[in-house]
Amino acid sequence: MHDGRFDPSGFYEFNLTGGMVRARTGERVVILSEDVLSSLVAAAARDGDLTPLRRLGELLGEQVLGGLDRPASVLSPEAVLGHASAVTALFGWGRLAFERWGSALVVALRDKPELDEDELGAAALLGGMFSEISQRQVSCVPTGDSKFIMVDFEVAETVWGWFKDGADLPAIVGMLETKRAS
Amino acid sequence: MSDREDRLRSLLDKVRAKRPDERATRAADALERIRTASGTTAAAAVQSSPPLPVQSSRPVPVQSSRPPASTVPPTRVPSAFPTELPSSPLPEPPTSPALDSPTRYSSQPPQVERPLSIEPRARSIRPSSPSGAHSGAPVAAPSSRRPESIRPQSVSPSGQPVVYATDPPEFPRAKTFGDLLDQTLSLRPR
Repeated sequence: MHDGRFDPSGFYEFNLTGGMVRARTGERVVILSEDVLSSLVAAAARDGDLTPLRRLGELLGEQVLGGLDRPASVLSPEAVLGHASAVTALFGWGRLAFERWGSALVVALRDKPELDEDELGAAALLGGMFSEISQRQVSCVPTGDSKFIMVDFEVAETVWGWFKDGADLPAIVGMLETKRAS
Repeated sequence: MSDREDRLRSLLDKVRAKRPDERATRAADALERIRTASGTTAAAAVQSSPPLPVQSSRPVPVQSSRPPASTVPPTRVPSAFPTELPSSPLPEPPTSPALDSPTRYSSQPPQVERPLSIEPRARSIRPSSPSGAHSGAPVAAPSSRRPESIRPQSVSPSGQPVVYATDPPEFPRAKTFGDLLDQTLSLRPR
């Protein structure tokens, strides 16, 4: 049985002679300041291409999967959240939490770096991370207050439009219904 | 005889003349001394007392015993505190209810937790219930309420706040992360 705990020891390998920092899984990582990263993300959001951030989220998801001994789908939400929040914190992306709003799973990312006003950079990061963790296409749509509703990628644009029109999270959840298997 | 009488009369006159003069002058001197000193007879008595304290100052223990009896000031000082002491506890009561109001605010959370502490109350009722006529009915009622109120709270994933939408009772309770994903990814616009 998996104890659900994340061991952060030895997560980073600092190679001072080689001038490199590698994560536990071997990927080379670069430490950036928040100001530099926010300017890069803001430029990417203006261009409409947040693929690098989604790719970064996938790398974080790989780190999470590397610490799990079983597929995330069979683990408890607490176990998955424990590993995901630890990896997110190790990369300096804030505090991760889960919330349930009816049938909707909402991801809260507190104290995250201030990237762009619409929080699309964090949404891309979370979407890539949970897509990698769940091995399914997941979209995390910003709903304000550092919360992101996790929905299928087919309805992501619709939910994003609701939020841009002024709907808050309870209203968005109320406008969604579970698609029953026919 | 005349000579004798003359001599005697002269002697008597001399004596009478000397004595009343001396008494009058002595009394007059005393009166003048008193009047010049304080101007009142009471002050004259006070002036007459100074020689007494000088004599009483010699026996020290006697003086030490007299002051506590005659030391009015120490008795007056404690008499002044009691008048202040009852006055001080009187203003305290109005301050104590002011302190009770913040305790009321702090007592609200425990009141919210009381529903969770129904179990010890029900247990305390059980031993007393056998003595009463109705023993089973009051115990069965709280036991039937417990699972209804506790279960929905304990099912919340990872202890995060659960906010139910319009139709919360329809979805099945998810136990795994995969179940949560299935539910949230199956959401579609109405």
